[in-house]
Amino acid sequence: MNRFWIALAVPVAACTVGACTLPAPATAQEVRYYELPPGGRAHDVAVTADGQEVWWTVQRGGHGILNPETGETVIVPLGEGSAPHGVIVGPDGNAWITDGGQNAIVRVDRRTREVRVWPLPPETGPVNLNTAAFDGRGRIWFTGQTGFYGRLDPATDDMKVWAAPRGRGPYGITATPSGDIWYASLAGSHIAKVDLDTGAATIVEPPTPNQGARRIWSDSQGRLWVSEWNSGNVSVHDPRDGSWRTWKLPGEAPKAYSVYVDETDKVWLTDFAANAIVRFDPVTEAFESFPSDRPGANVRQMLGRPGEVWGAESGADRLVVIRRGG
Amino acid sequence: MIWLLILALAPPAPQAAPEPGARAFQRCAACHSLREDARSPAPGLGGVIGRRAGAVESFAYSDAMRAAGRRGLVWDEATLERFLADPEAVVPGTDMPYQGGSAAERAAVIEWLRRRR
Repeated sequence: MNRFWIALAVPVAACTVGACTLPAPATAQEVRYYELPPGGRAHDVAVTADGQEVWWTVQRGGHGILNPETGETVIVPLGEGSAPHGVIVGPDGNAWITDGGQNAIVRVDRRTREVRVWPLPPETGPVNLNTAAFDGRGRIWFTGQTGFYGRLDPATDDMKVWAAPRGRGPYGITATPSGDIWYASLAGSHIAKVDLDTGAATIVEPPTPNQGARRIWSDSQGRLWVSEWNSGNVSVHDPRDGSWRTWKLPGEAPKAYSVYVDETDKVWLTDFAANAIVRFDPVTEAFESFPSDRPGANVRQMLGRPGEVWGAESGADRLVVIRRGG
Repeated sequence: MIWLLILALAPPAPQAAPEPGARAFQRCAACHSLREDARSPAPGLGGVIGRRAGAVESFAYSDAMRAAGRRGLVWDEATLERFLADPEAVVPGTDMPYQGGSAAERAAVIEWLRRRR
């Protein structure tokens, strides 16, 4: 693993074997990289509440488990034809995975590593399962990029799938602190709120046309932050008053892939054009960039716990963590 | 009249199942269309067989894909098969992630695309 202490965009590292270190300024961020088994193309990442395990989706059919203390990794096979996209930590502490290859929701028991698979109804065909989020009632909601979203109640095994109102596109999904579920439609360039009882989706249009709303995340106030792939913007929608605000990421032609909001309501984004993780402070409206030290890192998603945010470098077969220091 | 009654009561002809290539294209269609569409997050795939990588001028490819095209990568059955099986291995840094699917599905969708020039 490699470790950096950086304050701004351009780290200057003094390196020893296996680790690189910078003097830590007062507002330092510790950046550390973890090498993963090659060829897995880590797509999404999640960290357990106790920080003892970090999970990533091995795009060729596995649930990756990293011990961040030792750097050791284990891969749990998920089944024939598996190609997982997203992974989250469920309210039960287990890993919940959206597996496009198996066209199924998959749970991996954290303690026993037992794998359980809930296939989607066969009549839907492959929906390109994308991401998932739990509502406040213990049910997991998921998106299928070919134009679907759905819900599984693990307590009863009841699964329902709905056609998205404008077809293809449902990608990122998030739960607000009150348990509401919203998803973003990449091809449809909108966000939508899902009625938890009826499953009906209500579309809300961001102000920028054809913006490519890719991922979505809620802050502590229930405001929805959206990473816009086509426009290179980050935008925020407040459902309480219907308002929107939009900011362009730094650079000439940014491509905002993912968004995550930490416990301090700082907004973390990934920009493929800059090959960087970008942090946005909504109070100062300032961006801070954390470029990867490898080309084409392609961080497709971030997730964290208090004090640290994790990203999966799909193009570099690494995980990256940024921890607050100083 | 009897014939009309028989026709009216006859069960509908079974619908043909979608061909495997069309069904497999469903995975691609989450982002791709066959025609160029400014609203799509991925380039159109009509005529992709025989096309140089990164060659649709109106589409904002990754630097990696444009560079691959400049190096001579052309989409044919073999290169597409390798790309769909592991996009990052063929074009490191490409925006497109692995989409899953079996070798048979990949072959079916490539053949289906070959017929849509």
